Amino acid sequence: MANFDIQLTVNGRQVSQSVSPHLRLLDFLREELHWTGSKEGCGAGECGSCSVFVDGVLMKSCLMPVAKAQDTIIETIEGLEEQGKLNVLQQAFQKTGASQCGYCIPGMMMAATAALRANPHAGREEIKERLGGNICRCTGYQKIFEATELARDVMNGTLPDDLLKQENDEGPFIGSNSFRIDTSSKVTGSLKYAGDMVMPQMLHMQVLRSPYPHAEILEINTSAAEAMAGVEAVVTCNDVPGIDGFGVFTDDQPVLARGKVRYVGEAIAAVAAEDLVTAKEALKKIKVRYQQLPVITKPEDAIKTGATVIHEDVPDNIVMHIPIRKGNVDKVMAESDHVIEDTYYTQPVEHAYLEPEAGLAYLDADGTLVIQSPSQNITHHRHKLAKILDLPINRVRMIMSAVGGGFGGKEDMHYQGIMALAVLKCRRPIRYVFTREESIIASAKRHPFIIKYQLGLSRDGHIQASRIHMLSDAGAYNCSSEGVMRKAAILAAGPYAIENLIVDAIGVYTNNTPSGAMRTFGAMQSQFATECHLDLCAEKLKMDPVELRLMNFLKEGDETHTRQKLGSVSMLEVFNSALELADWEAGISNSRGSTRSDLGNPGNRPPCTLGAREFPQETVSAGQSA
Amino acid sequence: MFYCDQYHVPQTLEEAFDLIQTNKGSYKVLAGATDLLPWAREGRGGDVNFESVIDISKITDMSEWQLQGDRISLGANVTIQQLLEDPFLRKHIPVMAKSAVWFADDQIREQATLGGNLVNASPAADATPPMLAMNAELTLQRKYKGKINQRKLSLDEFVKGPGKTNLEDGELVTSVECDSMPGYGSAFEKVGHRRSLVISTVCLAALVSLSDNGRQFEDVRLALGGVGPVPVRLHESESCLISKPVETELINKSADLAVKNVQSRTRQEYRREVVFNFVKRGIIEAMKDIETNYAEVDKNIKPRKNYG
Repeated sequence: MANFDIQLTVNGRQVSQSVSPHLRLLDFLREELHWTGSKEGCGAGECGSCSVFVDGVLMKSCLMPVAKAQDTIIETIEGLEEQGKLNVLQQAFQKTGASQCGYCIPGMMMAATAALRANPHAGREEIKERLGGNICRCTGYQKIFEATELARDVMNGTLPDDLLKQENDEGPFIGSNSFRIDTSSKVTGSLKYAGDMVMPQMLHMQVLRSPYPHAEILEINTSAAEAMAGVEAVVTCNDVPGIDGFGVFTDDQPVLARGKVRYVGEAIAAVAAEDLVTAKEALKKIKVRYQQLPVITKPEDAIKTGATVIHEDVPDNIVMHIPIRKGNVDKVMAESDHVIEDTYYTQPVEHAYLEPEAGLAYLDADGTLVIQSPSQNITHHRHKLAKILDLPINRVRMIMSAVGGGFGGKEDMHYQGIMALAVLKCRRPIRYVFTREESIIASAKRHPFIIKYQLGLSRDGHIQASRIHMLSDAGAYNCSSEGVMRKAAILAAGPYAIENLIVDAIGVYTNNTPSGAMRTFGAMQSQFATECHLDLCAEKLKMDPVELRLMNFLKEGDETHTRQKLGSVSMLEVFNSALELADWEAGISNSRGSTRSDLGNPGNRPPCTLGAREFPQETVSAGQSA
Repeated sequence: MFYCDQYHVPQTLEEAFDLIQTNKGSYKVLAGATDLLPWAREGRGGDVNFESVIDISKITDMSEWQLQGDRISLGANVTIQQLLEDPFLRKHIPVMAKSAVWFADDQIREQATLGGNLVNASPAADATPPMLAMNAELTLQRKYKGKINQRKLSLDEFVKGPGKTNLEDGELVTSVECDSMPGYGSAFEKVGHRRSLVISTVCLAALVSLSDNGRQFEDVRLALGGVGPVPVRLHESESCLISKPVETELINKSADLAVKNVQSRTRQEYRREVVFNFVKRGIIEAMKDIETNYAEVDKNIKPRKNYG
């Protein structure tokens, strides 16, 4: 109920409105005033994408009930622009290429503005300190710091302002410093991500998710939810008109749970209602009866005889097994001078893109279904949707909205199908915005691996045989597991000439969160094992780890382990350049410690030490004494 | 998500008590809201609805401070950023600034209040150990039959358990009194995963004063957080040093005496090792903070293991 009267100034404009008292300042700015530049990345005050100035003080607007802003002066990212022209800081962000996906950028710009207002001569360390409450997932921060320093120097007159202009490079594109064409939309906060979009008659969606890792669904009763005032549609798997199932390689995942749930967080039903509160209330009224089933949490358990079957059409729970066989490993391993074995473990990783998933779905005037979402795979998704919805392809349109970070995590179509079903049912636009918690619970993770590694080497360091066994937890649904196993297997043995090779990459179903695409797609996990193992072998053989690599690299004219003939190999060039830049000091790695000559020089990293950490500089304003 | 039917912002204590009266049984008091809003989310508090929220952060009476002899009285609404930046506070309660610099981040510090941190009573609270070390006492007020009743509780009497205090229905913490300690050296140790926005796994507050020649401990205050259901004052470790010479072996002994306070539910061995090193380092850093000569102590902190 809108019973709280608020008056405040936002970006120079006086505002007076009656609002629901539970709104946070962030909600008020975004939903009531449509200043969508400030973002919700976490809702818990951690990420800083909601940072705004309140009476000149930088604060996290997701932590402020709107009443706290009564009679205050608010400045958001949209207020930084000067008469439609980028200010110095915005130009600096453009010049250094500081923005990638752009989602953290409004918050970063506000923090950088706060830093330079507090101390126009702030050095790098102080800039880092003042930006400490703002997280970025894409850039690694360096260009953001550079941009802030560049802006500082231009504003102080230490550097000329034509340094902010694009370099006039006439040569080839590659290697040139060009402005990204979308930067200005990102540094002004004007770019609309899916969660920023609004449409007349728009409804809000909420999704009921499984509390159990493995259970049969005996009954779903949506009648009470459907009867609620303000609820326009409730959907379940029964609303699928076409052929259910989506995925990247196999269509093993239903749009909404069908018959059973296979992981905690799996979507079961969804509500589209006039407002978020009504949608949430309606969810509570959906009654589901479950029969819990035995749960598989470890990939080792999934392949035991008699293990619970997670997908009926895959009785052995094996999503994909990619083998590579070459030569005679058993014989040559037995004859090797050294046989060195170890097991490597990698963990599931959350993508944690700053932009939680979101979508806006609607019907065009001609009846075409349109979904705007930060999907990394709109062509694939479009075809899947057409099949699921039994619509001709020209009646399904997918628009890739600005992606606030993906890294592979937005390749799965895990909510667009749900939105489509609801839009077709109620014929009105629907927006669905995930909370951070929902994003973490529902979306795929990087595949964890257990890698058993065995290498047979000759006395002088030649790799003669390699046996690599990789077991990976694919979670409840395939997603990209097939491809991940393939990549992991193909690249497992590394860029080394090995004549006898056994590789097995086995992805198995479990009742854990599905594993899916995430940067490197399986190769990082297998090569992490390979490189660690080679380093260990070098120690055991008392060899320089560089020498061990040089001895075994694939060369031009060699065949890879999957029979690709190598026509051009720049390995040595790249490797030698890296060694030079690193000042590599030859020798066995574990015997020199801090006496190494390739640490602590200009251009190298300092040696790692353990010791008491200095207190960070406490921020004391000029004129105050400690 | 945080929901409410009514949101009130009283400007005075009287107003606040009247609102408490009118909304008996259905009110929720908040100050900075920086703990409440992150808590009211899926996986923790979930969706919570309060009929009446009473936001006391604008009550100016509760935002001031004053010296009262050798004690200082701080309004419960003093923000963590003020504890970090204000020169008067930095002089009189120096350890609070050392704690504040590790507290969340600057944006949250501008909103978060001392009273809120103490009343929230997280076992990992950063303000509680330094306040314990400074003999903090809370003033609690309540309106009863038209009159304001006041009582005082020492901080260790106030905090009962994780998230639990002896605050009674209708009561507000209006101010916190603690020792004024200009001239003491202080230190705050905290371990966690990164520079900002860290919930303490272990935290320690230390204050030290030395004799004029720097060779003897005059006063030592030590308090520990994050290692059990409530933060604790390390009385044994303190007595081991007070009026004694500044000597490595005694500092080691003092640190050793602190280790048994680890009563966390998890990671006990790790916390014991950290506690030993924090007490030792905290004392040494606090001494360095005094800027007088002090007896040479073994500055090589040798971590000790095997705490059973």
